[in-house]
Amino acid sequence: MEIIKTNNLKKSYMLGKVEVKALNGVDTSIEQGEFVAIMGPSGCGKSTFLNLTGMLDIPTSGEIYIEGNDVTNMNSNKRAEYRLKYIGFIFQFFNLFNELTVMENVMFPMMLNKRPNYKERAKELLDLVGLGDRLNHLPSEISGGQQQRVTIARSLGNDPKILLADEPTGNLDTKSSIEIIELFRKLNREQGQTIVMVTHSPEIGGMADRIIHFRDGTIGN
Amino acid sequence: MSVDLRSALFYSRKDIFKNRKVFIIITLSIILATANIIVINGLVDGMIGDLVDNTIQSSVGHLNIYPDDNERFIEGLGIKEQKLAALKDVEAYSPRISATGVLSNKGLSVSSTILALNPDNERKTTKLLEKLVRGTAINSNDKNAILVSSRLAEDLKLDIGDEATLAFETGVVKVYVVKGIVRTGNLDFDGSTVIMPLNEAYRQLGIDNMASIILIKLSDKSMTEIYKPMIMQNLDVNNVKTWKQETEFVSNFANSWRSTSSVISGVGLIAAAISVGIVIYINVIHKKRQIGIMKAMGTNDAFIFTVFLMEAAIFGIIGVFIGDCLGYLSIRYFEANPFLDAISQTWISARFEPQLFYIATIVSFAVTILAGVYPAIKASRVEIIKAIWGT
Repeated sequence: MEIIKTNNLKKSYMLGKVEVKALNGVDTSIEQGEFVAIMGPSGCGKSTFLNLTGMLDIPTSGEIYIEGNDVTNMNSNKRAEYRLKYIGFIFQFFNLFNELTVMENVMFPMMLNKRPNYKERAKELLDLVGLGDRLNHLPSEISGGQQQRVTIARSLGNDPKILLADEPTGNLDTKSSIEIIELFRKLNREQGQTIVMVTHSPEIGGMADRIIHFRDGTIGN
Repeated sequence: MSVDLRSALFYSRKDIFKNRKVFIIITLSIILATANIIVINGLVDGMIGDLVDNTIQSSVGHLNIYPDDNERFIEGLGIKEQKLAALKDVEAYSPRISATGVLSNKGLSVSSTILALNPDNERKTTKLLEKLVRGTAINSNDKNAILVSSRLAEDLKLDIGDEATLAFETGVVKVYVVKGIVRTGNLDFDGSTVIMPLNEAYRQLGIDNMASIILIKLSDKSMTEIYKPMIMQNLDVNNVKTWKQETEFVSNFANSWRSTSSVISGVGLIAAAISVGIVIYINVIHKKRQIGIMKAMGTNDAFIFTVFLMEAAIFGIIGVFIGDCLGYLSIRYFEANPFLDAISQTWISARFEPQLFYIATIVSFAVTILAGVYPAIKASRVEIIKAIWGT
């Protein structure tokens, strides 16, 4: 089943007085349960594509479908609600809430979604990412690789249908990077989690089911 | 999409208590600003209340009859006294004569106001004769005794039993013995007043059966508006003033003091509010990326606005609550321990009015919340993409 579909997706923005076409007509389709890597040179539109499919940004034209629903022109409140329930984000910079403990960071999106038993679920997820013994640590008290694993646990809290990861290993050493990708593979195989990951690294990209290459705002060969 | 207040409060609480030093400093500024409103206004209320009480107790009656315009004295005092005695709610009355003179002692002389009164009537009408700081009161039959106001006594170095020479405006000069020294708290009165029996003043001024003023005490001072026209008609007098009219100068004084204290309290409160606003604003600026992440996770603008407004509310609730307690305790302390005003030589105490408590609470809290509005709006308008990627 098709979980993400884009039709002639375009995004341009102004850089001073110059119009920059970040995406220039992207048609793509991602199936449920796929682990897709998006690769391409810097500035080719990878992150813009992720922002648009994650409903963080609005396209200049074209359509985005999530599970067959047109989400292109949803208002900002509806998009926020969709993000909360259907999409999990993982960013290059771990972006945890520094004032919350590891456990609270994972709990927080579930609290927002009024999910029952969120404490138990947070513990389960932290066990899953191998941080069951770091529940009460602050983000500043754990390593970069561990922080990224907390981010992954946090993104899974509301059982999102889609996990969007923008350079999730870009700030990690090789060992931690491999651990993170192995975790993605585990989630994808064992839980059927759909994962769309932007990466520069051919090694990391090679571990996905499929690679979509971007070039100059379009999908290349 | 509604705002989940529980989650907003969870995050606000965590965020606000993260830096305890900043939290304590900001809360302290709200505490002091709130307590300041209660204490300063309580002291002003106490001072003004004491002034009104003093004025009513010693210088004016509930109703006061003055001579007609262009007349110096009220004539036919005897008949007027009979008519007053017949009125149902007139509890007491006291005619007084005011004249000028010069009191001298040991080469020192001070222009003085001579206040002549009937001690028996005066005791029933005012508490003037209870305001003796030394000595004893005069009585109706005293021919050579006077009371001297406290600062006049100081200026002329007079004490109980001393002899002082009083020159009346008529040219008569007579030596009197100081029987008592009076202090009312009224600067004018305490500075230059000589009190003597009414009959003695009649003798020295060559007048009789008249008064400069008649002070009337009613059984209830709220009845002045009913009795004023009745007395004007029955006694055939035109110039009658109520105690409220008499203390109008105190009201004006009070208003000017209240304006001053409001400015002082307002400045403190604004300073506290600005510090709350700045702290939350800086927090928003520093947290742009986290706000972006929060929005990416699925929170809407209203949630972000609520989070940062709640931070202001937490500062407000804690600061105002402790400020109220501190203000209340301070007022109670000043009520129980009045302090001496060096200028008027009177004891000033504070007065606690529940209304003051409500005003301080509402104003402080509202101003603190208002201070959080702009940073909260700023936070809610953070654009996700710009915030996360810092573009």
